[in-house]
Amino acid sequence: MNMMKHNWNRRDFLKTASAATLGALAAGAPRQGLAADQPAIQPTADTVIVLWMAGGMAHTETFDPKRYVPFSKGMPASDMLSTFPQIDTAVDNIKFSQGLEKIANVMDRGTLIRSYTAGDLGFILHTRHQYQWHTGYAPPQTVACPHIGAVIARTLGPKNPAMPAFIDIGQRFDVGEGEELKSFHTAGFLGSEFGPFLIADPADAAESVRPPEGMSPARFENREKFYKALVAQTPTDQFGSAYQRESLLRSMDNAHRLLSSPAAQSFDLTLEPKESYDKYNTGRFGLGCLLARRLTEAGARFIEVTSEYIPFEYFDTHENGHTRMADLKKSIDGPIAQLVLDLEERGLLNRTLIVVASEFSRDALLEGKPDKPVKDQVDEPAKVDDEKFYGMHRHFTDAGSVLLFGGGVKRGHLHGVTAEERPCKTLKDRVVIEDLHASIYRAVGISPRLSYDIERRPFYVTRDGVGQPILELFA
Amino acid sequence: MDRSLIAIIAVLLILAPASRAALTPEQIKALPPAASGPVDFKSQIKPIFEASCIRCHGRGRNRGGFQIDSRQSLLKGGDTGPGAAPGHSADSYIIELVSGLNPDEVMPKKGKKLTPEEVGALRAWIDQGLPWDPDISFAPIPPQNLVPRAPKMPAAHNENNPVDRFVDVYFEQHHNEAPHLVDDRTYARRVYLDTIGLLPPPDELEAFVASHKSNKRAALVKSLLGRGDAYAQNWLTFWNDMLRNDYKGTGYIDGGREQITRWLYSALLTNMPYDQFVAQLIHPNKDSEGFSQGIVWRGFVNASQMPQMQAAQNVSQVFMGVNLKCASCHDSFINDWQLSDAYGLANVFSDQPLEIYRCDVPTGQKAATKFIFPQLGDLPATTNKQERLRALASVITGPKDGRLSRTIVNRLWARFLGRGLVEPVDDMQQIAWDPDLLDWLAQDLVAHHFDVKQTIERILTSRAYQLSAVDLGELQSTNYVFTGPDIRRMTAEQFRDALASLTGAGYAAPNANVSMSEDVQKQFGPKYQARWIWNVPGAAHNAKVGSIYLRKTIRLRTPPDQADALIYCDNGFELFVNGHKVSSGADFTRPFVVNLKPWLKTGENLIAVEATNSAPDPTAATTNGPSPNPAGLYIYARVRADSRGKERVVDFVSDRSWIVTDKKTAGWENPSFDARNWTPASELGLGGIAPWKLPDDMIARQFVRRAKGGVRASLVAADPLMAAMGRPNREQVVTTRASAATTLQALELTNGKTLATVLHEGAANLIRQKSSGPELVRSIYEEALGRTPTLEEFALAQEWIGNKPTRAGVEDFLWAVVMLPNFQLIY
Repeated sequence: MNMMKHNWNRRDFLKTASAATLGALAAGAPRQGLAADQPAIQPTADTVIVLWMAGGMAHTETFDPKRYVPFSKGMPASDMLSTFPQIDTAVDNIKFSQGLEKIANVMDRGTLIRSYTAGDLGFILHTRHQYQWHTGYAPPQTVACPHIGAVIARTLGPKNPAMPAFIDIGQRFDVGEGEELKSFHTAGFLGSEFGPFLIADPADAAESVRPPEGMSPARFENREKFYKALVAQTPTDQFGSAYQRESLLRSMDNAHRLLSSPAAQSFDLTLEPKESYDKYNTGRFGLGCLLARRLTEAGARFIEVTSEYIPFEYFDTHENGHTRMADLKKSIDGPIAQLVLDLEERGLLNRTLIVVASEFSRDALLEGKPDKPVKDQVDEPAKVDDEKFYGMHRHFTDAGSVLLFGGGVKRGHLHGVTAEERPCKTLKDRVVIEDLHASIYRAVGISPRLSYDIERRPFYVTRDGVGQPILELFA
Repeated sequence: MDRSLIAIIAVLLILAPASRAALTPEQIKALPPAASGPVDFKSQIKPIFEASCIRCHGRGRNRGGFQIDSRQSLLKGGDTGPGAAPGHSADSYIIELVSGLNPDEVMPKKGKKLTPEEVGALRAWIDQGLPWDPDISFAPIPPQNLVPRAPKMPAAHNENNPVDRFVDVYFEQHHNEAPHLVDDRTYARRVYLDTIGLLPPPDELEAFVASHKSNKRAALVKSLLGRGDAYAQNWLTFWNDMLRNDYKGTGYIDGGREQITRWLYSALLTNMPYDQFVAQLIHPNKDSEGFSQGIVWRGFVNASQMPQMQAAQNVSQVFMGVNLKCASCHDSFINDWQLSDAYGLANVFSDQPLEIYRCDVPTGQKAATKFIFPQLGDLPATTNKQERLRALASVITGPKDGRLSRTIVNRLWARFLGRGLVEPVDDMQQIAWDPDLLDWLAQDLVAHHFDVKQTIERILTSRAYQLSAVDLGELQSTNYVFTGPDIRRMTAEQFRDALASLTGAGYAAPNANVSMSEDVQKQFGPKYQARWIWNVPGAAHNAKVGSIYLRKTIRLRTPPDQADALIYCDNGFELFVNGHKVSSGADFTRPFVVNLKPWLKTGENLIAVEATNSAPDPTAATTNGPSPNPAGLYIYARVRADSRGKERVVDFVSDRSWIVTDKKTAGWENPSFDARNWTPASELGLGGIAPWKLPDDMIARQFVRRAKGGVRASLVAADPLMAAMGRPNREQVVTTRASAATTLQALELTNGKTLATVLHEGAANLIRQKSSGPELVRSIYEEALGRTPTLEEFALAQEWIGNKPTRAGVEDFLWAVVMLPNFQLIY
């Protein structure tokens, strides 16, 4: 096993932090507001990894299996609750859907929430729900809302100062609903210092922290040397104090430092021993999990790995739900389990919170919530004649599974109950996004009532500051 | 007692004001004791009220019917009785509430609760008879910067520009040092960027510096403001940010958003008077309605973000410097606007009166239409929305409104000087650091019929603007004293356009659909008629699948200064010049613009094209057989040479002078190839024929470019480089961009693909144009920094580039130069 050693010195942080970070941390806007009566929270995690199942991951096909009826030509659509049989997990009272055996084996390292319910936004739009999941607010908004990763980056700062604090892996933005995706992959009004460092393809991650294509390390160093020398020669003395100039030069320094630091090696998947690499290599998402592990070892603060949202692809199953889920489970099962095991082996799992989530769930027949249905978007015949109609193709927002590992959560714990028959909705211990965020924030020591001032208005990190951490989730 | 008497008594009891029970002796003992000593209202009581009470009970708000605007209203009390009994704090309701005796009825409900010491101070104050300074009031603050005002012009001290007369007075008052004006080079760089968003070309810059004309700076500004398209393309960015206009973005997929690009560009091109500009955005036509329509999302939308509310928020922010965002959900906590104000304005944009929602919960009440500044004029009570919009536009742009003009001149001042006369620029309720200057500039705009360019000229020709830049950094807002312009940073678009000037690597095609000015049409439009050609007539209807080969020889007396070819081909082409493959394309729906200059020489030049008609889309087949498969090639090459200061037109086009064959023979694309037996191409028709129907102004639009570089950054959608450099996602109104450098930005600049590609292409262009190292170094300095390199800089650069520059060397040199603070910052 190859464990990377990383040394970084927190004392060096101030030297390396850009002027923007310093200004923000010292006195500048946006200003933090903390309720005076908030007791200090003891963090149980230093790093957060969100594994984002984009497109709507059906709970009855994954972590909350129900009655299984295999496909038969002409079967009633109402018989489709789970299209896979159940399997045991390492926890007695928790069963998974077939195809997730490896994650089942590590269920005793974490907590399963079965009662996540998405917001009522009327017409189901994936990116709109994704925006709400990632910022806590439903668009449109009067200010550019920050992504949860940006909030954590801004509030806690980077862990290893050489690493970008917020890294986002796996999404391309020039496809599908790229513009809508861009609107929440941002630090918003917190400022782009805390925005996501984007890596569309983990296999290419090393490139993003290397000199530009075709430039050797030697040439890169020479270019930097020449640049510094040119800066030193440029006459600037007549212009008094130099805030703008220093801010620019310092940011260039930081960029150069990352590209030439040992931390940059963590981006290079080719340095991973083959045996380990192969365990993760189920595709882009799997390699993204490997990258997330390496970045965590190198001191990243917040990492999101997405299975990628492209309309009607991946988890966004509008047809062939069963066969596609079989493939999807293959692509996530090994890597997610391996990530948990690897972090545990390296003694990092206790301080790393992993969150596996999706914007909403799916059902074969219901769209929205049973008591608040929304417009149907997918045709589903009453009798299933063709396998392409066998699966969960509609968008269900009244239940959902969220899997949490590490970072101080209970081990082998189940939270929330859903109905056994349609509608498979939440019956007990409902979890809404502001409380899920509050729980994540609590793990890293951030109050749900924390606010940042924008245009003199306090903007709370959970919706209007009402988020309540779910204490039962924590050991 | 008979029943009616009982009923009357019952009714009276019900109607009698609820009166509170007096406190018990135990409760009185539990109260914090009254503070000792005389209480000072201003320093002790006023801060308590401001921190804990006025949000609900001051500035016109009266929760529970209770207002503390004045001593009188406090004593009068509210729904539950008088607020205080002078001399008897223990009997005063206000004390009972703030001391928290009854935890269910503690005041304030929201916000900072009073400490026991503060309660004690309040008690003492009441016991002492509530002394209240007569000049202190918590009544609504009257609007600032609203009424037009023509301040008295100070006497002149050698100042022709009125701006400077005011600034001189300010300087005297603040004991500022004698001002130092910047030199010509610095000035030119500033004004070129501020007017047209481009760096000064070296020849123009040197001519300006060398000129001895006494008013050359003013003349320069005037001339730059006269460059219609360049001006429009610069200011498009400013207004796109403010009006949430973009070419890609949320809402375009499902029709929830509409562009105003054509209208906006045209307005900037013609310098549309600002009052008309604003009026057309408020009371819009089809081309300008996208702004007030906002961004519409499918599904449930928070009531505060309905399109009509968006309109109210955006109109008031952009044009009036008023923030109604908070007041869109509840009475605002940060200013005096109330929910009814936001809804009153939103109603103007609504077909039906809107139901008021408080914090997204319906109140059952309908909004009453009103304008946030009713003193400026009435809005008619009419069900006709168009009439209301016209009236609103008229009120906002009318002669009584001094807020509209102040807001825009303040934005312009902030743009050029780095900080507004009023800050924040979106809060025009704040006092300017020089109210006379602000008021004067505003009335000057109005006096010149809202001519924005005139105001820009005023500011850019003032001595205040010409002062040395000051670097305030993060101290911008504390105790600001104006001593000169702030050091600013190039915008993302300016940075990208500067790169394009420097390297010739600009954008190929615009995303914005704008009409160029007549001047541009004349300059860049076609001089000859190009025609669609193929090897057979009738190809515009149907042609065989396969490739044809075409040749054309052109003769040039001198090497050209500009040579760009616009190519449309159905379906694909490969272009060769003198045997070199220069370009290819495989998309018949768009033009390809190719720079031919590097490949052309004096004398004979051979242009050769392989044009291919692909198989038709099989799914387009009809029951009558396969669908027709048109084919055609359309080329307009704009070739210009400078002949003793005059431009010589040597354009060539696709027409029957081209020769064609459908048989490929090796070497067909070479000049030496013998093509004697090829036949003349068939002309299919002019550009506008079916099925392609090219628009008339298409050629001009595609060729518009500066001396070097492609389409300007403001006309294309954001790419990763521009996004990293601060170009915003225009989902919300953006009136000021952050300019601080960030690490992510620096990462994009250090190894991002977008910049690397530009530098790579640019280096190749530069090596072709300038043969020697020293020449290249000097030329880059002149173009990028507007000066020759110092001896030390030159030595360093020379050492780096060498005498025979390599592509890599030039790339890295370019990179270092554009990363210099002196390049990116505007001193």
